[in-house]
Amino acid sequence: MNEIVGGVLILGGAAFAAIAGMGQVRFGDLFTRMHVATKPSTLGLLLVAVGAMFRISGPGAVSLLALTIGMQFLTAPVSAHLVGRAAHRHGDWDRAAAVHDDLSDVDEL
Amino acid sequence: MIVALAIVLLAVGGAGYLVRLLQGPTLADRIVALDGLLTILVTAVIAWGAYTDRGTYLTVGVVVALVAFLGTSAFARFVEGGR
Repeated sequence: MNEIVGGVLILGGAAFAAIAGMGQVRFGDLFTRMHVATKPSTLGLLLVAVGAMFRISGPGAVSLLALTIGMQFLTAPVSAHLVGRAAHRHGDWDRAAAVHDDLSDVDEL
Repeated sequence: MIVALAIVLLAVGGAGYLVRLLQGPTLADRIVALDGLLTILVTAVIAWGAYTDRGTYLTVGVVVALVAFLGTSAFARFVEGGR
């Protein structure tokens, strides 16, 4: 039973990771690619790690997996924010295609 | 069996990130792709641990997650022309 639940969770998480990778190829703008790189990958990692908790037996496995989840959930938003801010300031994006830009009067290039 | 299929799906996702890493027009695209590729790597390490039913490699996941964060923030400072 545990094996089946864990396997289904791991498969779902891997599907999310595959969707994130396909979105990297299909999406045409930096910020949409950042959106598809950050959210589905993190959710995929969460699902795979929770699924692995059901399957890996041994001391410390659950706590290490929980530590990985916590690390990823703490660092992924911070690094995405840093990269987004840097790209916006540096002008590494399609400014003409943006519908609305709240930071246009804040960021001096 | 089901976990082997999951590892194949992870390889598909990693290939997408690799394409973006190689052809991304700007440096910021490559940074995003590298960060995502490392997330896929952590996920694949965990899935491999579940496939072999050994918790030996789970430490690698924690370390790679930390190093990926450090590298991404350093690259972001670099793009920004950081102080």
